[in-house]
Amino acid sequence: MAIKYTFQGILIYATMAAYLLAFVATLLRQRKIGKFTYLVGFIIGCASVAFRWFDVRHVPMQNLFEIFLLFGALVYPISIFCNRVLRVGSVVADMLIGAVVLFPAGFIFNAEPQQLPPALQSWLFAPHVFVYILSYVFMAKAAVQAVSHLANRQPHDNLLSPEEATYRMVCAGFPLLTLGLILGSVWGQLAWGDWWGWDPKELWSLASWLVYVGYFHFRYMFGRRFPRFSSVWAIIGIFVIIITLLWVNLSRLFPGLHTYAM
Amino acid sequence: MTQETGLKNRLRRPVLWAGLLLILLLTVSSIYGAFIGAQAAQRFFNSIPLSVYWLAFAVLLVVGITIFRRLLHVRGLFLIHLGCVLVLAGGILGSQAGLTLQNAFFKTDFIHSGEMVITEGEIEKIVQTEYYGQKELPFEIKLVDFKIEYYPFGSLIIQPQDRPSIRIPAKPGSGYKLPDDLGSVEIVSRFENFKMILDGARRITFDDPNGKPNLALELQLKFPDGTEKTKYVFERFPGHESPDDKLQFFYRRTIRDFISDLEVIKDGKVVAKKSIEVNKPLHFGGYLFYQQGYDNIAGRYTILRVAGDNGLGIVYLGYILLCAGVFWHLWLRHILKDRIIED
Ligand code: HEM
Repeated sequence: MAIKYTFQGILIYATMAAYLLAFVATLLRQRKIGKFTYLVGFIIGCASVAFRWFDVRHVPMQNLFEIFLLFGALVYPISIFCNRVLRVGSVVADMLIGAVVLFPAGFIFNAEPQQLPPALQSWLFAPHVFVYILSYVFMAKAAVQAVSHLANRQPHDNLLSPEEATYRMVCAGFPLLTLGLILGSVWGQLAWGDWWGWDPKELWSLASWLVYVGYFHFRYMFGRRFPRFSSVWAIIGIFVIIITLLWVNLSRLFPGLHTYAM
Repeated sequence: MTQETGLKNRLRRPVLWAGLLLILLLTVSSIYGAFIGAQAAQRFFNSIPLSVYWLAFAVLLVVGITIFRRLLHVRGLFLIHLGCVLVLAGGILGSQAGLTLQNAFFKTDFIHSGEMVITEGEIEKIVQTEYYGQKELPFEIKLVDFKIEYYPFGSLIIQPQDRPSIRIPAKPGSGYKLPDDLGSVEIVSRFENFKMILDGARRITFDDPNGKPNLALELQLKFPDGTEKTKYVFERFPGHESPDDKLQFFYRRTIRDFISDLEVIKDGKVVAKKSIEVNKPLHFGGYLFYQQGYDNIAGRYTILRVAGDNGLGIVYLGYILLCAGVFWHLWLRHILKDRIIED
């Protein structure tokens, strides 16, 4: 863990600070200030991604540092879209999610620019990672809703009930998760000659996909009788995603093809 | 109610349960597979019990589609589940076990996968397979040329004794101030093929246009006490430092790509040509040829991975249906619902 004394670092910390401020302000019922600082956080977050793009001269989605940087900028538009269009709340939680996802970029991951190794030079690279990031944000929101459901929270305004909101977020994220898995597989086929290589990272992403397939079927079969179990399923989903995203890379427990994703 | 619909009704519950169970089982097996590493996982997922599992999953999906009216008539659900059937079917057809059965049944000798090593200018048809030793392709592959491409400049890596290393672009003319009490370094020039001769006490360095490459950097080190030192760093002979040196230097180039120019020869005639690179394989005669590795000492031979394309088309079709299905069922039909009346 190290503090980044660079311009990039300052941008990241400023985004985090704005998101946290927005979070605290909203909790203290200063809604206007909250909304405003959330927007400011988003603008600095975009500047941070743009700076990185300019700095490394390729789409900044090569390593975990860049991926988390993007996460930090994407949280805001997704959060607003879900609130206004999909009637799924938890914007306050999104502010916190924004700050939390930037933490690894700010303090843990190495920001040194890298040149693209041959296996990463594919047109599939950016879409594969991008749809995964999007789907993970939806699935994180699904888990937040699932927790509110278990905590018996009632939504205000005309938002969906937490159980329905969980389902809606999984419905939003699942096609992207599926596309991410398929693009990864096609890329594997082009790069290594196998559309499925049984590599640990692939298996974890299959497991996270299957957890949501399980969620759909469980909810279809028992959703009325045991709605709380469906929500537990959605929470397990985000845990498996976190493991897929981080643990495989960080732990070095599993030998595999994706080690360059560090 | 006819006998048939009565049976369908009775089957629904157990089929749903079995489906949920198989999904759970596969989730747990995937996590288990992730712990044992890719090679062991590959063996595990191709073992006999798992082969039975894959077949059962595919059959259950087909049964599901036939007995649940909605799976057949709601187009998104139909595409999703049919897509899964196709991916499974393609996977089974393309697997080693599936291929062995097809070879026995159709009296063919199709190769599942393997490796080919070809030297520049040579022609080869032997594939080294993992389980069946050497096998012959029904055509030949010629390696016309093999090239390695690097990013320009490469990097100079400076390793202070007990601090993290520093990596800077090895661009001639650039200087860099080292942290703390270590002084500074300037990259004076870069040699493709470094040569040095002694003229009395004078050392003359130059770039020799002939001969094998010998990449080197000339550095000018300036220490805090005002002394200076010229230093040569070689790509291929790193680490000439004496133990009391405070700094170690390495020169590395990053590979951008390896490229094999291939020709396919059948009955003495060239029938296809392609320059293959890491993400750009050659597809010919039911096989895909990938750039897998190369001779990393002299760059004279290439290592190709050969993989049969059995079932691949079916898997891809399955992917398309699955994707179309999930986007349709979970996104688009809701967006378009005012205009489209379904169910
Ligand atoms: C193993 C056998 C399977 C059976 C018997 C089965 C059966 C079903 C049934 C009966 C439904 C409910 C349809 C309805 O809304 O009326 C359903 C929904 C669904 N299934 Fe499957 N399924 C199986 C495997 C899979 C797999 C492998 C996937 C992977 C993508 C999948 C994805 C879905 C999805 C996305 C839905 C929609 C859920 C929703 O609208 O809430 N199913 N399935």
